[in-house]
Amino acid sequence: MSAEVLERLFIAAAISSLAVAAYLLLNRYALQRASSKVNRLPSYQSGLPAIVYFTIPTCAPCKTVQRPAIERMKASYGKWFQVIEVDASQQPEIAQEWGVLTVPTTFVIDANGQPRYVNQGIATAKKLIQQLEIEDYSI
Amino acid sequence: MDELKKIDHSAMTINQVIIIALNIIAFVFNQPWLTGLVAAVMLLGTLAGRPGFGFIYQSLLKPTGLVKPRVLLDNPEPHRFAQGLGGVFMLGGALALFSGLSALGWGLVWMVAALAALNAFGGFCVGCFVYYWLTRFGVPGFSKTPPAGTFPGMRPKGTVSDER
Repeated sequence: MSAEVLERLFIAAAISSLAVAAYLLLNRYALQRASSKVNRLPSYQSGLPAIVYFTIPTCAPCKTVQRPAIERMKASYGKWFQVIEVDASQQPEIAQEWGVLTVPTTFVIDANGQPRYVNQGIATAKKLIQQLEIEDYSI
Repeated sequence: MDELKKIDHSAMTINQVIIIALNIIAFVFNQPWLTGLVAAVMLLGTLAGRPGFGFIYQSLLKPTGLVKPRVLLDNPEPHRFAQGLGGVFMLGGALALFSGLSALGWGLVWMVAALAALNAFGGFCVGCFVYYWLTRFGVPGFSKTPPAGTFPGMRPKGTVSDER
């Protein structure tokens, strides 16, 4: 491989890394923005970790994948966390405040009320359990 | 409200990913002709009213089930405009490269790749955003408004069906 190709490959990798870094920063910004809004969520109980689940009635992957995953988690570990479901079509102002770009989107909130993770798109039960730091990954 | 149509966003995402990949390959191997090819495919796709590299999705990825359809209710016109705008920038980039204006040419090529990435991975279509603003300013030929509850340029939320 010639030096010129290597140099260009390095530049391409650097530009791509910058793009990934920008995406991660945006996610971090979304989490920061959400942190001041957790307590305003309807039915939020402070002191208990939470999954804030944004969906809409016509979202097929929400019905077929995301909701069953959350239901399975609730059946096994329901006492360790709460689920706050937000219908983004009924409450678009909440979805906008939280910077929701797509559905399903899940935010994982720790016991101190701090948003820790945002998953844009489907998040598996295993991933959500790991993010909630529940130790048994048997689902 | 505008009458929305069922649009398979997977075809557009694959189109964008192929554009990104080809632009990076063209840059790394210093092949300006490849940028000209991408520009031509994008512009021909715009004229045909479909994603330029959508044929790869339609003939290979969709039938084999490697990529599942993601059908959303959306306006096709802003996406066509966005691809056309991208094609014009790509053409500008290719012409600049053939004219020896290397920095300008590759700058335009990277810009198209970056905007395609923003659309493919972030769900925000800058060309669509421009289209909706032109509608707002009453520019002739631009009449569509964003789907209800959708920020201009953002991918509409939810999936209409799993049809293949």
